[in-house]
Amino acid sequence: MPNLLNDTIQALRAWRVWMFLGVQDVKARFRRSALGPLWIVLNMAFFVVGAGLLYGVMIKQPMKILLPYLVSGFTIWGSILASLTESGWAFVGAEGYIKQFCYPKQIYLMRTLVYNFLILFVTLCSLIPVQLYFHTFYIIGWLLAIPGFLLLAIAVLAHITICAYLGVRFRDLPHAAGGILQVAFFVTPVMFPATMLKERHFDWIYRFNPFYYLLEVARYPLLEGKLPALDVYAGASIYIVLVWAIAFLVARSLDSRVVILL
Amino acid sequence: MNDIYLRLSGVAMTFEGQTGADDGLIALLTRPFAKGPAKPQTYRVEALKDINLEIRHGERVGLLGLNGVGKSTLLKVMAGIYPPTAGRVQKQGHICPMFEFATGFEMNQSGWDNIRTRALLLGMSRDEIESKLQEIAEFTELGEFLSYPVRTYSSGMFIRLAFAVSTSINPEILLLDEVMGAGDVRFAEKAKKRMFEFMEQGKILVFSSHNFDLLATFCERTIWLDKGQIVADGPTSEVTATYQDLVTHY
Repeated sequence: MPNLLNDTIQALRAWRVWMFLGVQDVKARFRRSALGPLWIVLNMAFFVVGAGLLYGVMIKQPMKILLPYLVSGFTIWGSILASLTESGWAFVGAEGYIKQFCYPKQIYLMRTLVYNFLILFVTLCSLIPVQLYFHTFYIIGWLLAIPGFLLLAIAVLAHITICAYLGVRFRDLPHAAGGILQVAFFVTPVMFPATMLKERHFDWIYRFNPFYYLLEVARYPLLEGKLPALDVYAGASIYIVLVWAIAFLVARSLDSRVVILL
Repeated sequence: MNDIYLRLSGVAMTFEGQTGADDGLIALLTRPFAKGPAKPQTYRVEALKDINLEIRHGERVGLLGLNGVGKSTLLKVMAGIYPPTAGRVQKQGHICPMFEFATGFEMNQSGWDNIRTRALLLGMSRDEIESKLQEIAEFTELGEFLSYPVRTYSSGMFIRLAFAVSTSINPEILLLDEVMGAGDVRFAEKAKKRMFEFMEQGKILVFSSHNFDLLATFCERTIWLDKGQIVADGPTSEVTATYQDLVTHY
């Protein structure tokens, strides 16, 4: 137990190491591709045109509101999704490092967070031209989103911790999580506005959905240029406390066995 | 400056687990509903038992023993890679482990980037890495291949790269696990020289080897392990003599 705490503190101190590893991961992903990270933005553009046109007809929302909503929602969802699926490989993929170098293994959790958030921020850049086009770009909104993104980062790190540890013990987990999250995607207001559920008296679907709060703390200020309601922050914070409690229990029970299970 | 030391008290390392495929998520979830007593095959290996030893500043220690007696496990416990199941490991000084040269690469990244990553994980600072980069690159003799992703490398090239990086740091506590041969004949000669220089630098050196000459050259003290326990711990000449006597006679 005191080992876990010590290791974590040491790992956080080695920020130069995990920053470097995370940045390298992003670079490696786009190495030898002519357009590089621009692909993320381009893919988002395809998505926006396709989904935007279709959903615009179906949901009958003006493009001015719908497109920025889709882009921001889908981007942040991507970060949450990756934190619960891909991060199951955080330790497994670093096996060669964990078994031969002395840094505490928690640096590989931080490395995954760095990668996750770098991809998130690059993708989020595609929101700027959309907002500029519709004259809904508020610089103040982007600043007010900072606390929301911090909360998101804390939650995402808890997800990464849980999945990385469990992923070592149960190698099926990242696959299983992918399936479950597909369902979660449809019941979370990512692609459709939450008010649609409310009008049909299905608002419990998002009220008890932690992903809704995680999305909203980061997305709302970007779109509206002001802070979201306090209960959104409260929802996100409660979820963070709960998910970190789980993360702690998982880490405590598996920490000393990770190297042996790898 | 603090004195560098390595102290193990009552250290034990037990590996437990299950054999067979019945160890996944499905097995765990269905176990309560399984008909009859579900008894998965378990194993329990006591790799180290009650190890007590202290290595002080300036000591060079050899580890001797047949395959599978716990030499590598002991080195990994010293490095902090394996958390001991009992006992305590206390240490002062930066540990430099050198266990294998064949793993720990980012396959899609270039040789240059792999040098940087490996050096960073061994504990070098960014400035130190950049200042040593050219020297490391020259030693590998990989030339333009360093710009290629390492997945194109042969196994010999991997070893050259890893070896060059690992031996370029300033070790305090150096832990070596039978890493002597590296690469082709010409490189092996060069590597041997560099390795010897490197081993001279360590404030503390612990290394496992089956080569009595090497042990005699480098270590005043040798520890003989058998079945996870210390059989003998003393001057190299005495320990190796008894060991040779015993092993060659049975």
